[in-house]
Amino acid sequence: MSRLLIIAAAGLGLAACGPKKPPTPAEAAALRPADARLAQLYDASCKACHAQADTGAPLVHDHAAWDPRWRQGEPVLLDHVVQGYQAMPALGQCASCAPDDLKRLIRFLADREGDGR
Amino acid sequence: MISRRGALIAGGATVAVVGAGAGAVAVAKHDKPEPAAPPSTDNQGRLLWRNWSGIQHSYPQARLAPKSEDEVAQALKTAPGPIRAVGAGHSFTALVPTAGSLMSLDGLAGIAGWEGEDQAVVWCGTRLGQLGPALAAKGRAMANLPDINKQSLGGALSTATHGTGKTLVAIHADVTALRLATTSGEILECDADKNRDIFDAARVSLGALGVITQARLRTTANRRLHRRVFAEPFEETLAKAEERWARHRNYEFYAVPFTGLAANITHDETDAPAIPRGPDTDTDFLNMLRAMRNLLGFSTPLRKAAAKTLLSAAAQPEEAVDEGWKLLSTERPMRFNEMEFHLPVDAQLAALKEVVAAIEAKRPDVFFPIEVRRIAPDDAWLSPFNAGPRGSVAVHAYYRDDYAFLFELIEPIFRRHDGRPHWGKLHSLHGQQLQALYPRWDDFLDLRRRLDPDGRLLNPYLKGLFGLQNA
Repeated sequence: MSRLLIIAAAGLGLAACGPKKPPTPAEAAALRPADARLAQLYDASCKACHAQADTGAPLVHDHAAWDPRWRQGEPVLLDHVVQGYQAMPALGQCASCAPDDLKRLIRFLADREGDGR
Repeated sequence: MISRRGALIAGGATVAVVGAGAGAVAVAKHDKPEPAAPPSTDNQGRLLWRNWSGIQHSYPQARLAPKSEDEVAQALKTAPGPIRAVGAGHSFTALVPTAGSLMSLDGLAGIAGWEGEDQAVVWCGTRLGQLGPALAAKGRAMANLPDINKQSLGGALSTATHGTGKTLVAIHADVTALRLATTSGEILECDADKNRDIFDAARVSLGALGVITQARLRTTANRRLHRRVFAEPFEETLAKAEERWARHRNYEFYAVPFTGLAANITHDETDAPAIPRGPDTDTDFLNMLRAMRNLLGFSTPLRKAAAKTLLSAAAQPEEAVDEGWKLLSTERPMRFNEMEFHLPVDAQLAALKEVVAAIEAKRPDVFFPIEVRRIAPDDAWLSPFNAGPRGSVAVHAYYRDDYAFLFELIEPIFRRHDGRPHWGKLHSLHGQQLQALYPRWDDFLDLRRRLDPDGRLLNPYLKGLFGLQNA
């Protein structure tokens, strides 16, 4: 019984928070980092896969796709980006990206820009 | 009528069910594990660089991201060597790895200007995928595009990257002028009248003469193309291929080993209203081929029978009408390694048949389709299409799979048919072997010595390629 209550409470909690919907294709295509330099790096590299729904890459600002990844921790995500992982090419094909750029791009993609400040 | 995507997904599910019935579900998941990755930094704290497929890597001492042509020239004069320019890292050969300086031109991207109505002056850090919409904004387009559009313009030119079409040249052959930054710190303007030799050498130059900062590109009107994708028996495709190259603006096909089928793709100009391309189905298709390999790779007859049954439902033609830059390139989210040779056109299909037969006889682990294209000639010294049209055949290996067979089994076939290797794709040729294939090879090496006398642009791979191991 208590287990059911916990599950129900968790459900209510989620409902109260209002889980974010994944962006539509048009919304995903329009999303860009606010910083001009970061936006340029994003446009040239990340956007090609992360702003399109059918590439297999987690869609920009899609919490359902990003939250489990974010829980792995930023160091793990950064290693996956730098080294490449599964379909993800190393450095996201951004040879001019420094580690700090990559961290900021990960935060932008995961819609966690406030978390890293 | 079942859609192609639906058929592919249904087909994949059927494979899994058949496998479950045979008690072989686990086999379907027996892909090789993710290859071990090099550490993100080395013991001196230098950040890893790794190519798209993952087989090349280095820890450059300096990472350069110049914001101006002057910064490029200054860096070429003073930065620690070897200095290697990098774009998207799509080359499978070791053109980029360096312990010295890695230079990205990401900061030099976009259209710098126009000359007349049809020639765009483009910064070479521009990714091809970004160039399409930028040209389209002015009603123009590149005449052709490669299969993948992630590359930088500089990388595409330097490796003779190409699309397909009997009358269509590779990208570098649409360059009418370029600006080359050299290790002396100069910027050389080159075209058909000025520095002609350097112009003809630099258009395909592997980053060995300097860094091409800008190129003036001939463009075409941004026409809509009618794209058609259809499958048919491999033998039928072989019989009709030459006629299709003659008839269609762009034509290519993929021989699908262990299926007896080929997937054909045509593009032709049209004024018909746009019918946007649907969701990507190529990845589903590849995953189904991989599932069949995993389950039935032990028996070629069984695999062919399953393919015939499953793929027949997927054979519905796909059609789209849209601007060329939206259709000619395809997303490739599944990584792979690749060898592609450019063959004399009379030898192309014979070589292809040998390649398919060799793979089906000896390499049941292969599941990637084999890409077959045609390219018009040009006059760049190290262009594989120099002095005559070429027919290309490209063999792929999934990034987790062994690719040594490309050298052991496939390359000897290509070499027997006088093939020239794609500069960015796997091959083992060097020195005198390449000299025999390229009439201007020695001229190129002389020019390289003149423009980079201290070898500041030479990494170990290039030294070997040029036969300069003691340089």
